[in-house]
Amino acid sequence: MHTGTTNQVANPNTVVWNSPGIWITYSILTAFMHLVLLSMPWFTTSVAWTLTNVVHGVGMYFFLHTIKGTPFETSDQGKYRYSTHWEQMDSGTQFTAARKFFMTTPIVLYILASFYSKYEFTHFVINTSILLLSLLPKLPQLHGVRLFGINKY
Amino acid sequence: MSVEYNQSKEWVFAEAIRSMYQAPLYHLILEGLLLVWIFRLLFFKSYKIQNKIPLSKKEKDDLVKDWTPEPLVPDLQKTLSLSTPYKEITGRPGKMITVDGKECLNLASMNFLGLLGNERIAEKSSASIRKYGVGACGPRAFYGTVDVHVELEERLAEYMKSERAISYAYGFATIASAIPAYSKRGDIIFVDEAVCFAIQKGLHASRSNIVYFRHNDLDDLEEKLKIQANLDKKDPKKASVTRKFMVVEGIYMNTGEICDLPRLVDLKYKYKVRLFVEESLSFGVLGQHGRGVTEHYNIPIDKVDLVVGSMEYALASIGGFCCGRGYVIDHQRLSGHGYVFSASLPPLLARAAVEGLDILQDEPEIFNKIRAKGKLMQELMQEVPELKISGFYESPSFHIRRKPTANQSEDEKYLKVLVDQCYQNGVCLSIASRLSHEEHIADWPASIRVSVSVEMSDDEIKMAAHVIQQAAHYAEQQI
Repeated sequence: MHTGTTNQVANPNTVVWNSPGIWITYSILTAFMHLVLLSMPWFTTSVAWTLTNVVHGVGMYFFLHTIKGTPFETSDQGKYRYSTHWEQMDSGTQFTAARKFFMTTPIVLYILASFYSKYEFTHFVINTSILLLSLLPKLPQLHGVRLFGINKY
Repeated sequence: MSVEYNQSKEWVFAEAIRSMYQAPLYHLILEGLLLVWIFRLLFFKSYKIQNKIPLSKKEKDDLVKDWTPEPLVPDLQKTLSLSTPYKEITGRPGKMITVDGKECLNLASMNFLGLLGNERIAEKSSASIRKYGVGACGPRAFYGTVDVHVELEERLAEYMKSERAISYAYGFATIASAIPAYSKRGDIIFVDEAVCFAIQKGLHASRSNIVYFRHNDLDDLEEKLKIQANLDKKDPKKASVTRKFMVVEGIYMNTGEICDLPRLVDLKYKYKVRLFVEESLSFGVLGQHGRGVTEHYNIPIDKVDLVVGSMEYALASIGGFCCGRGYVIDHQRLSGHGYVFSASLPPLLARAAVEGLDILQDEPEIFNKIRAKGKLMQELMQEVPELKISGFYESPSFHIRRKPTANQSEDEKYLKVLVDQCYQNGVCLSIASRLSHEEHIADWPASIRVSVSVEMSDDEIKMAAHVIQQAAHYAEQQI
């Protein structure tokens, strides 16, 4: 994208998660969201952690695996028009550093949420399903796959 | 056996550690596997997913054996369609043109309205050189917009009776930028197979699916539209996100024929396809006020989604323009690559174009005159037995071909002899040159494009026709 004198790629979505400081920013924002939930007096600690995991997982699924294309016009004539943000990341290259980061964060949140909810069964069910929702779409076998034609165009 | 978990609102760290020891086994195993997965993840190498089928060693060896290298420098005959060197023009071209020192009647320049060398335009352009300098020195968005650019666009929109217009610095780049600004990968463009090279480059740059239909054969187009409509019925979700366009020319540069715009507009509404009309040769020629093929057929210009014209033919300036609805044109201000990334039109040329529009509005009878002269020239050419005419009967720009056609190279030789003989007798013609190996149709028949100017009197036209007739006969005897 031609933005002044910056380094130019046709689609900035492919390289945004390699920008300096963005991983730390992402972690800080997640931590902040957790602190907000934790500060609500009507949530117990377990609920706050599970809720963090749920909000993070649902948000990640929506932004990375549901919405497609770019909000701006790119000069590659719409190459990524039907690709989700996860598929656009690093132009479809699998297991790059940014992708590994995003595969790790749901797992870290899951382990923390399981610990802080004292391994109770209800919380286990919720957290594990959110973990699957976060991890399965990121596997290279599911790159570009649209189940039952949902979200294809 | 299990200890009751403390259900109080207080969360105690010691209890959390205790519950970790008493956690269900499946949960701990799952967490262990996840930690192993993270550890393995750190060592995965990144790779790109290959969509190609891997070849076996035998297949690779066969391909290597079959491969023959191409020459580093290709055969010269393929790269140049004309092997003769360029002719040199001296002085100011207009109705007469001085080629290699000899003054001839200019039937080669597409100077339809005689504005080439017009004194009024030259005066106003010189005044703008004194006012603005020579170049605008920047793209339109980066300090390259001068007030004459804005004036030119407003005047063009007003003249063409459309909402807005945008001007480009180069006629070829206009349509080649307009098409990819709207049509992207996955979209479908239905286009006449005889479109000019600029449109072909625009189609290629758009990366869309191109469907060619036979030249001016709207039955063929309708068939192809029906096929697409059937495919759309099978996959309506895909169809709802696929944009479809039709690109035609008002008067085709390669054949001189006119498009059937009323039927195209009907097809547009029937099959929901956007219509782009390229009016390089019809702007300033067709229509009661020279507004092009839409005025010729009495169709309101808003029915055509985008009209693209060139100021390099009838207006005798440089550059091109697009006109249409406001939201359509405004999109090109950021997405038209030839507009955004090229320096803007020099102000003197924009001023020349505005002056040209003034002249067109001062002399509204000029359009009937040029069409009458075009018709006259075509009628005279039709009487020549050795030549075949192709073009709309009133078009001042049409093609002549050898009637007893042999193969391509012989026809080219014949036309060269014809052009030389005409030059000897004071009529300047030029063969329609093409990059055959880069065009969509490589083996287009060789032709001469004749362009009549409104400045030529009927006697001069008759003289030119007589010269061409004699040259055609002479050339046939030489071949």
